[in-house]
Amino acid sequence: MDEAVLPEKFKELEPFVVWSLPTERARNRKRLASSMAEIQAFYDTILPRGEAIIEYLNQFALEEMPMKEKRLFYLVLSLAEVANAVELFKQPGVIDGFDPERFLPMHE
Amino acid sequence: MAASENGTAQQWARKFPQIGTGPVSNRPCVSPEYFELERERIFKRVWLNMGRVEELPQAGDFLVRDVAVCRTSILLVRGKDGKVRGFHNMCSHRGNQLVWDASGNRRAFTCKFHGWTYDSTGRLIGVTDEPNFFDLKKEDNGPTPVATDIWEGFIFVNLDPNPKESLREYLGEVADHLEGYPFDKLTTRFTYQADERVNWKVLLDAQQEGYHVPFLHKRTFVKSFDDGIQDIIFHALDVRLFKRHRLVSAGGSGESPASNLTPVEALARRYGATTLAAMGGASYGGKKGSQLVGTFDFWAIFPNFVMALMDGTYFTYNLWPLAVDHTIWEVRTYYPQARNAGERFSQEFAKCGLRDPLLEDGSVHERIQAMLGSGAKTHFILQDEEILLRHNYKVVADYVGE
Repeated sequence: MDEAVLPEKFKELEPFVVWSLPTERARNRKRLASSMAEIQAFYDTILPRGEAIIEYLNQFALEEMPMKEKRLFYLVLSLAEVANAVELFKQPGVIDGFDPERFLPMHE
Repeated sequence: MAASENGTAQQWARKFPQIGTGPVSNRPCVSPEYFELERERIFKRVWLNMGRVEELPQAGDFLVRDVAVCRTSILLVRGKDGKVRGFHNMCSHRGNQLVWDASGNRRAFTCKFHGWTYDSTGRLIGVTDEPNFFDLKKEDNGPTPVATDIWEGFIFVNLDPNPKESLREYLGEVADHLEGYPFDKLTTRFTYQADERVNWKVLLDAQQEGYHVPFLHKRTFVKSFDDGIQDIIFHALDVRLFKRHRLVSAGGSGESPASNLTPVEALARRYGATTLAAMGGASYGGKKGSQLVGTFDFWAIFPNFVMALMDGTYFTYNLWPLAVDHTIWEVRTYYPQARNAGERFSQEFAKCGLRDPLLEDGSVHERIQAMLGSGAKTHFILQDEEILLRHNYKVVADYVGE
């Protein structure tokens, strides 16, 4: 029985599949609920594979991605979400920012 | 961004000498009486943006927009004849709200109260127990229409039963200048809403000047512009003030030096337009169209609609006043249709990259409003680069008549 959750080529990212979340809201909440150590560990592991992930996923039509590829896609979208925490704020949330729970994505 | 130089100090006061340079009263931001005058003399008399045509692609598609400032709910429908019409969302019988969903598709609209039915062009087509009504002419009793028109795919309504100007006349120089911008190619839309305890003008003020950028956005905008932006005051590339509407344009120097790109930004930019980079001048569309003055053109369309245009992406604000100290801020950011995962990834980075600075912006809105309520200060002290704020208070005062 196939227990893999991600494509074979990216098997080593499976410990981080908790970051594979389908909506912006979920990914943002995960970012804000995580410690900087957790965010950094995710970022440091996935960033070096970022280009390879995208080049691999680009072979699939966006609307017709198989399940494992879709999970990988949501995983790399989390990289886009946490980027600012690591690269700009050095903390999970916007420093002194408006409450993100009150700035609601309406598109999903 | 142009650094502060003697030559550019007070440049907008020289260009627009009639606008004034003194302190500006903050009473319009705290007075409930003034808000009521804005409601009657502005919001019920002007063209208000409701949405875009892509939200209503098929016959029978509808949107309902709550327009609390005009004390109504507006139903927009694309009729079976293809035309988009707007109505007060109200059954002619006894006033029930006709449609209770925010959007959808229906061949006909049936009131839940007594089953009266209307078609997609706004005709009353069915009255239940009709023989029991007295001299009821269905043709005279469709839902009350509102003037509805479309410019470059943007749907506007005017709550004035007899609008003084057409939409095109109202937009004026904005329409003259922006026609041809590729709005119809940038149809992927991400929308955010914030419900804030702030006057709509205070919110708009916070966004329509670049003075705050190196301070409030010192962490987020640093990479978009030249090195050392956080220590440099920058001045706008151009300011244009029209009868009601206005423009502030910022000019980035072009591509950020490669060393300035954060790793994820570098990855994202390979696949598409990322908003903050586009603001700073990263080019995505090839040759810049004539619609762009700088790299980031912020058009404030009176009273409550902002279009911020860049190369390859744009975003809009709709500010919906609920009370003198209460506003819904709707932000929509637009990109081309993503054709693959890479393009979608770049858009995810772009919108998160825009969203985080908007949280920085939002952090001051409610604090300002709270302190304005103290009455400890009665005026705003505005510098030259804050001339758009002066312009809005002047135009508002002209409409309000105070």
